[in-house]
Amino acid sequence: MTDVLKCSSLVKAYGRTEAVKSLNLNLNEHTIYGLLGRNGAGKTTLLDMITGGLFPDGGEIRVHGQALRRGEVPRQTCYVREKNFYPGGAKVGEVLNMASTFYPDWDSALAERLLGEFKLNSRKKMRQLSRGMESLVGNIVGLASRAPLTIFDEPVLGLDVLMRERFYRVLLEDYAEYPRTILLSTHLIDEIATVVERVYIMESGDILLNEEVEQIRERAYLVNGSGGAVEAFTSGRRVLYRENYGSHTIAALYGEIGAEERREAQSRGIEFDGLPLQKFFAYLIEGGQEHE
Amino acid sequence: MPIHFDENRPIFQQIAERVEDDILNGTYGEEDQIVSTTQFSRMFQINPATVVKGFALLVNEDIIYKKRGLGMYVAAGAKEKIMGKRRKRFYNDLVVKLLEEAEKLQLTKEDVVAMIQQEKRG
Repeated sequence: MTDVLKCSSLVKAYGRTEAVKSLNLNLNEHTIYGLLGRNGAGKTTLLDMITGGLFPDGGEIRVHGQALRRGEVPRQTCYVREKNFYPGGAKVGEVLNMASTFYPDWDSALAERLLGEFKLNSRKKMRQLSRGMESLVGNIVGLASRAPLTIFDEPVLGLDVLMRERFYRVLLEDYAEYPRTILLSTHLIDEIATVVERVYIMESGDILLNEEVEQIRERAYLVNGSGGAVEAFTSGRRVLYRENYGSHTIAALYGEIGAEERREAQSRGIEFDGLPLQKFFAYLIEGGQEHE
Repeated sequence: MPIHFDENRPIFQQIAERVEDDILNGTYGEEDQIVSTTQFSRMFQINPATVVKGFALLVNEDIIYKKRGLGMYVAAGAKEKIMGKRRKRFYNDLVVKLLEEAEKLQLTKEDVVAMIQQEKRG
């Protein structure tokens, strides 16, 4: 597999605050990634660096194999910002026209169809749009660009649930037909859990975990049982979170567990339960803070 | 609106089970073409790679097979195979759990059997 994007030991500081700390990230072709993190985790700083808007203090960024130099915008890359830079006086149709000249793979038929699906009026001025409509204009640009590397930063901000579903559906539809590398940066983890194939989990400027989502579903689980039994079971395993209630303990774990081990634990009164991505994320981050 | 998958366990396994259910309940007969990965991905809003993985599970078990350039088809004997597999699981997953829960409630095996016989089915 070819690396579409490769970030090595990236560093960025604002004054004394390190927004991104020696970060590594690799994106392959034909994959949808999620970049997950709380507000302030450093996601947007990272994306701004990848797309040439910010220059890193250290490390290297390679896009489609080429090192990104200062002041350069990466080739074949479309970045849909959380806050767009389009002039407020421009009409939606003009913004799309402008975008069509930037991206060699632009599909105007798709852009046209999406205007309809997202119920946007191409004659409206950008400044007349609601927050959600503004997001949708950016999303149309991102989808119709068909750029080999497309990055969305909080793409569903301000959208109602129907429009969010519609966005994810259109994204998957178009991706199935035109596979490319897509990075969705979001804090709405539940919504993208089935849409993305891999996730990068970011916290305090660092990548905490980089894993296939299905792998996380296989490896993350909850156990519940008497304090002693849980204590014995969890020793030597990766515990993300632990809490006692009464004489019982509940713990979130991460790692492979065989059917035999599971049965053995169950015979000691330990109950198992799965862990959705959202919960896993919360435990991972909370657990990390305990050790700080 | 997408039909809900259980977020607690791998989705690809649930995709395979869903296709198996459709074979068991007759939605698909032997040698019928099943829905394409693209359509499945769109219908349920699931990453196509996950759907491919789910179908691959069924291909490995000879429950479905690929006709080059045409799509996925239900293999001969698929229904029997699924039933055999599910019967084993029926015991491990359902019967054992049922008795465990009964024990918690201080119901005897005889109580459980009596309840099953009361149920007017089949």
